[in-house]
Amino acid sequence: MTKDHHHPHPESAVELRARALEALLAERGLVSTDAIDAVVELYEHDVGPQNGAKVVARAWVDEEYRARLLGDANGAIAELGFGGAEGDNMVVVANTPTIHNMVVCTLCSCYPWPVLGLPPSWYKSPPYRARAVSEPRAVLGEFGVELGDDVEIRVWDSSAEVRYLVLPLRPSGTEGWSEAELAAIVSRDCMIGTAVPRVLDSAAG
Amino acid sequence: MSADAPGLASVDHELGDEAPLPRDNGELVFEEPWQGRALGMGVVALERTGASWSGFRRHLAAAIAAHKPDPDESEATAYYASWLDALEALLAECGLLGQPQ
Repeated sequence: MTKDHHHPHPESAVELRARALEALLAERGLVSTDAIDAVVELYEHDVGPQNGAKVVARAWVDEEYRARLLGDANGAIAELGFGGAEGDNMVVVANTPTIHNMVVCTLCSCYPWPVLGLPPSWYKSPPYRARAVSEPRAVLGEFGVELGDDVEIRVWDSSAEVRYLVLPLRPSGTEGWSEAELAAIVSRDCMIGTAVPRVLDSAAG
Repeated sequence: MSADAPGLASVDHELGDEAPLPRDNGELVFEEPWQGRALGMGVVALERTGASWSGFRRHLAAAIAAHKPDPDESEATAYYASWLDALEALLAECGLLGQPQ
């Protein structure tokens, strides 16, 4: 957010009003320019995938929640307090030892942002959008995901109507972990399907 | 610093479906810098004053309902103009916008 006060155009009435209110609140000590800048910066760039990771972790530790999540993703996600206008019509697809799911939006960049935050730039790129469908195995290899030949890859095309989230397999070596510990190994890419959760030695225990 | 500022997800949660922030595929829509500052101002002011989000949401929904439609005005402009109305109304209600002593 710019602090530039040299405007290229005459300020509109509402803009002047916003500035006057900010000045008044600053004078009363209710806001500061720095605090406002920090919030705007945070909100513009940092909507992380932590909500989705919590959903996955819950599904890993709670079989009944997992069943609800796969049956009615919107309802199960809302149970954890997440959701929102554009996040409606979510579908969660579960990986199994023989099925790996990955998500793309071939048309544009539809994305379940209330749970995953903002899409990474590669998700919006034409090569990913095309190749995820035409050669998913090669794309996964480039992301460092090597799957056996016996694993079927299912590619899901998100749209404004349906947005997909991948429920990855819980890795071995995570027995007895808390939900918070589990959520920490669920990256954004795991839920797009271009990565699988891994247990690092440093993360164990 | 914004260490105390609520995350965007919690702001979304507080606003609910009643008055959701303008977005385009998840990204907040700020057509002009003042719109982002209006959002930041509201969040910081609520944080510092301890005023309730439910009170703010109520004022915001009322301001949006009362906002006169203007064909030249974008959705984001209308929303954040209402946001300013709501912030003023809430702070006035808390007695924080009176004459300075």
